[in-house]
Amino acid sequence: MELNLSHVDYLQVGVTSQKTMKLLPNVGRKATQKVAVADHDGVVTCFGMKKGEAVPVFKSLPGQKISRLELGGALGTPQEKIFVSSGSEVRGYTKKGKQFLTFEANLTESINAMHVSGADLFVCASYIYNHYCDCKDQDYYLSGDKISDILCLPVETVGRTVPILACQDRVLRVLQGSDLQYDVEVPGPPTVLELLNRDGGKGGEEVLYGTADGKLGLVQITKSGPITGWELDNEKKKGGVLCIDTFDIVGDGVKDILVGRDDGTVEVYGLDSSNEPTLRFENVLSESITSIQGGCVGKEMYDEVLATTYTGWVSGLTTEPQQMVAGPGDEIKMSRETQGKVAALRAELEQLQVKVLQGREKYQQSSQSSTAVSSVPVFSINDKFTLCQDDASYSLTLEVQTAIDNLLLQSDVPIDLLDVEKNSAVVSFSECDSESNGNFLLATYRCQANTTRLELKVRSIEGQYGTLQAYVTPRLQPKTCQVRQYQIKPLSLHQRTHAIDQERPMNTLRLTGQFSFAEIHCWVVFCLPEVPEKTPAGDGITFYFQNTFLGTQLEATYCKGEANFKSDNISTISILKDVLSKEATKRKINLNTFYEVNEDSVSHTLRMIHPKLEYQLILAKKVQLIDALKELQVHEGNADFLIPEYRSILDESAQLLEEYKKQPAHLERLYGMITDLFIDKFKFKGQNVKTKVSQLLAILNNYELDSLMEFFSEA
Amino acid sequence: MLVPIFTLKLNHKINPRMVAIGKYDGIHPCLTAATQAGKVFIHNPHTRGQRPAAQRLSQSTQDSDISLLNINQAVSCLTAGTLGPNTTGHTLLVGSQTNLLAYDVHDNTDIFYKEVTDGANAIVLGKLGDIQSPLAIIGGNCALQGFDFEGNDQFWTVTGDNVRSLVLCDFTADGKNELLVGSEDFDIRVFREDELVTEMAENETVTSLCHMHGSRFGYALANGTVGVYDRTARYWRIKSKNHAMSIHAFDLNADGVVELITGWSNGKIDARSDRTGEVIFKDNFSSSVAGVVEGDYRMDGQIQLICTSVEGEVRGYLPASKEMKGNLMDASVEQDLIRELSQRKQNLMLELRNYEENAKALPGVSEGESKMGVIPANTQLQTALSVRRATESQRAHIELNISTPNETIIRAVLIFAEGIFEGESHVVHPSAQNLSGCVRVPIIPPKDIPVDLHIKAFVGGKTSTQFHVFEITRQLPRFSMYDLNVDPSAIQPTGKVTFSINDRPQRVVMWLNQNFLLAEGIDSPDIIFTALRGGGLLKINMQPSGEITLRTDDIDLAGDLVQSLASFLAIEDLQAEADFPVYFKELRATLIEVDEFHSVHQKLTAAMADHSNYIRNMLVQAEDARLMGDWRNMKKRYIELYDLNRDLINEYKIRSNNHNALLARLKSVNQAIQRAGRLRVGKPKTQVIAACRDAIKNNNINALFKIMKAGTASS
Repeated sequence: MELNLSHVDYLQVGVTSQKTMKLLPNVGRKATQKVAVADHDGVVTCFGMKKGEAVPVFKSLPGQKISRLELGGALGTPQEKIFVSSGSEVRGYTKKGKQFLTFEANLTESINAMHVSGADLFVCASYIYNHYCDCKDQDYYLSGDKISDILCLPVETVGRTVPILACQDRVLRVLQGSDLQYDVEVPGPPTVLELLNRDGGKGGEEVLYGTADGKLGLVQITKSGPITGWELDNEKKKGGVLCIDTFDIVGDGVKDILVGRDDGTVEVYGLDSSNEPTLRFENVLSESITSIQGGCVGKEMYDEVLATTYTGWVSGLTTEPQQMVAGPGDEIKMSRETQGKVAALRAELEQLQVKVLQGREKYQQSSQSSTAVSSVPVFSINDKFTLCQDDASYSLTLEVQTAIDNLLLQSDVPIDLLDVEKNSAVVSFSECDSESNGNFLLATYRCQANTTRLELKVRSIEGQYGTLQAYVTPRLQPKTCQVRQYQIKPLSLHQRTHAIDQERPMNTLRLTGQFSFAEIHCWVVFCLPEVPEKTPAGDGITFYFQNTFLGTQLEATYCKGEANFKSDNISTISILKDVLSKEATKRKINLNTFYEVNEDSVSHTLRMIHPKLEYQLILAKKVQLIDALKELQVHEGNADFLIPEYRSILDESAQLLEEYKKQPAHLERLYGMITDLFIDKFKFKGQNVKTKVSQLLAILNNYELDSLMEFFSEA
Repeated sequence: MLVPIFTLKLNHKINPRMVAIGKYDGIHPCLTAATQAGKVFIHNPHTRGQRPAAQRLSQSTQDSDISLLNINQAVSCLTAGTLGPNTTGHTLLVGSQTNLLAYDVHDNTDIFYKEVTDGANAIVLGKLGDIQSPLAIIGGNCALQGFDFEGNDQFWTVTGDNVRSLVLCDFTADGKNELLVGSEDFDIRVFREDELVTEMAENETVTSLCHMHGSRFGYALANGTVGVYDRTARYWRIKSKNHAMSIHAFDLNADGVVELITGWSNGKIDARSDRTGEVIFKDNFSSSVAGVVEGDYRMDGQIQLICTSVEGEVRGYLPASKEMKGNLMDASVEQDLIRELSQRKQNLMLELRNYEENAKALPGVSEGESKMGVIPANTQLQTALSVRRATESQRAHIELNISTPNETIIRAVLIFAEGIFEGESHVVHPSAQNLSGCVRVPIIPPKDIPVDLHIKAFVGGKTSTQFHVFEITRQLPRFSMYDLNVDPSAIQPTGKVTFSINDRPQRVVMWLNQNFLLAEGIDSPDIIFTALRGGGLLKINMQPSGEITLRTDDIDLAGDLVQSLASFLAIEDLQAEADFPVYFKELRATLIEVDEFHSVHQKLTAAMADHSNYIRNMLVQAEDARLMGDWRNMKKRYIELYDLNRDLINEYKIRSNNHNALLARLKSVNQAIQRAGRLRVGKPKTQVIAACRDAIKNNNINALFKIMKAGTASS
């Protein structure tokens, strides 16, 4: 990597949301830029760096949590007015800190995304989009799924207002006035939108997006429709993208793409001659990166990447070389600035310590009183529970403002907890009393000092559903813990997709009965992930899903009084049938179920599993041989006497082992799904074949596709 | 940042913990390690192509610097060093489960090859106590054995369980080395020759020990703990989710004090300060670390730290130069300091905010506040420990009762304790309908050890999402699984141990009160308990003359009681008379079995020799037939050969079963000696062990029992 950046911390503010830090445009040439950052305490801080010290320009009063910070100003002038959204309110500050605007958007929910362009203000609550011009209501749109970000193409270049919404259901919605112009399908749930080169590229139509599963892409939003540019997959399984910026940090005249992710990764991508991105630099901070900007802050002449983290650290990755000042003595000489800084901090700490001691004493005294109560304010947890497509497992990340002391995981469904390399906490599994208290997993994580972020992986089994609870205890007095709940849905391994292959043989399940659209939608939400909680507009809806593990598909179409589910996997249909009838019985609604089983679908699914199974079997066999072959090699001195097949195993041993390690229990999971398929196939025929499962497993142990198919059709 | 000065890829796997460096010609250090297929490789890059191949040693064809040594048995430990008085170079010692080989690499000759029935799990070379010549001390199944350069058995003693680690160090600071033994019963024992000086209880198998400096030594446990002891006091310890494969003392930062270098199972190497455990350096291998050693591998007069991985990667590190000023990591000290201070400030501010918000809260809980888990300020958690006998539904246990005094509920209880749970923690998480203000936790300690229970209880309201965490530490006394309620019909114990002390009965009463879980104190040293773990009774009786009689059938318990009482009363030497008829009967049967297994072993060996002769003949006949073109005969011979081969395999299985059974019996004999020793303290203990050993050597079973009973060899 040709780029060498060193890490400098500038300032810590409160917990920050996504996209809440911007660099103000510099006044003269080459001067350092000021930073505006907003946090959950509702404080907007604007500061500049002078001789290595953060000098505040202004600091607003605390209030409600701030969800976004944007810069604006009259079109054609420097964009140096600061806008923040907090609750359902938008406030504006001048660069000197004078508040010139307070605008109540009159939304029932709080604003979670905002865009400012000239006199136009665009705000989004979870499903609602609103456009105001000079604070007057203009347009309105209700989105089908949660909106995570909003952006407009630059009016100066495009000549019209084109708002783009990033929606959870893996589409970018391009609006025209109050109407949807068209959808742009993207490979994952988009979390952030930015204009390429901050101005949308040549035509002003190029938009960068990042997704929750860590993908990155470029799309051109033209008048007639989208033109897809490049797409970057997330092969290394880094975190989801939270913020993007474009800035020429390399200094070669081409703007680079800066990316901040929720696992603390900061990346710089350069665009090569064919305009394809290549990774130039990577650095991992310990907390999620909520905002990223390129500019010049710490020292004149030295460009840097400025990032804020979840816990409110504003840090720079600067091109300025940070050499150590080695003095003549044995101690490392600190620069005078740092010494001053440290001394000031220490003094501040001492004062605080006294105050805290007083507080502690008072708190202790209150425990003597019989009327006093102890209520500790809720601390904020940044959590994410997402399905990873590659290994069909869920990853749970938890992030707290202060160091985590311990974590208790409890689940009332059988799930597997997988080891995560990055996670240094000591895990301990406790005995479970599944009968009396319904616990299937009780595990504690004792964290190492200074762990503010924890990453875990769990593997679920389709058809078994319930709740996973995480009790987080931070290292903070008085000690409290907070519980977070995560639903493990019946079809937990399914993921939304844009379209399905209608050619496949399908099994169908049809439900009719006295249920409303809202009720059936609620049941679908209960069964499947990634479905918006809000009942969709209109009379009916169709959703498409894909099983991330097997690649089978599901189509769900429903309206008031009727629902149709189509899937090529009979197990999926079986699970749906069981869960839906149970839910309906709970509400005392009479359901009529019709199902149509397509015999071909079973063999079709088996054929789909076949390559995966075969690959895994061969891999397992090869891995088994490696040690023995290595021993032979050592014994004989070389491997020339071996047949080419074995020699190639030896040559590839490292890759094979790595591959094998990556997919723990993959084979067992496949076996489990084939067994389910077998049981479900005959369940629909009204036969119980559980007694034959051992025969099936025997066949699987000497796997051959034909014999397996035969067994399925014969039994 | 400290970087390796050399890196080698040896292309041979390295067995964990079996790495040593030896100067076999007295000059050139050679890295020696056990590898697959019962081989040991010697890497000698210094004298290329000068060595002729002969006998055991053969040149590896893959790499001319490597010679392979055929052991033809799975190697279990190895070391190198000066053994003989008149040899120029180091001697290589290789231990397996059945043999110990001392080998002169330079001259290509065996020095001795000894059968060791107790196996060699660990080996150490050096001077012990007053014994003149250096010894190769091996630790096997409950036994320690030391050989001099002629292969004479100079030292023998027994220890509590299978030995896993050994080190020599001057523990008592008397100028002579003591032997430190880490074993599978979680104890570190210190032997001054064959006298047990002291023992330290840990909570997992002690897998590695290393001498630091003076009386300070490092240790590693199988659960991922590493730490440092100074004599019997633990300085620090840390626990990781990975396992420590190898530990070594080396002064990496050149400050004159050695650091503890740990190689981990995930490939990490770290160096920690011996005083604080603070990490001063770390590096990563791509695979698990196999061993960490030191030597002047570049022959330039500087000692390097040499780390090896299981895949055969070797890295050498030189101690840091002066310019690095002890800062070996790639981080700026200033930045870290400021960050740490800011973090502390942030923490204090948050704590202060907690108190402020708490002060604002008023009595009277509203709907919104119930989520915060508001509890009365005077809530105090009560804990009680009590002994519970077995019922039909539950095993005998110790009940920990945790309750709140008011309407608050306990959402979950986490207990962190060492050595009594499967992991390091135990969780009780009642289901939503079983929530109450009282939680009963059954605890069944598997051994008689004192345990600190660190209890964390989550207290709040029924619908709270945030809870107060109460942290309490309770101590479980050493002998807690003993109940004062005695069933009058219980069988009286036949075993007993009698000894006299010169102390007042009150002191014994004090010991009883401290070490047993007694609801209300007792005032007489005559007491009867029911042992909940094993069943039987335990009677303690003290005569006015100071003679104490312990009656129990559990010889281990008697030993534990004697040791505990002796250390409480600070008794240095204690002679005792004992009789455990039931146990002695079992032991007698075991001794007879040992003889039987020995004779079976000899028979089987003879049979195998017969078979191999037969095979040789058969093979010649078969090959003759093939050359003559007599296909029918050839086929017949080969079929017979095949049958013979099968027989051989079967016989081998019998032999190995027989061997394992023999080992188990030998282990229990060793344990019996150890147990007999534990009934005495100090000199009498050493004498009993030595006398027992002599009796076994002379095959005098009657004398053995006499010694065990009387405690002396004479009369």
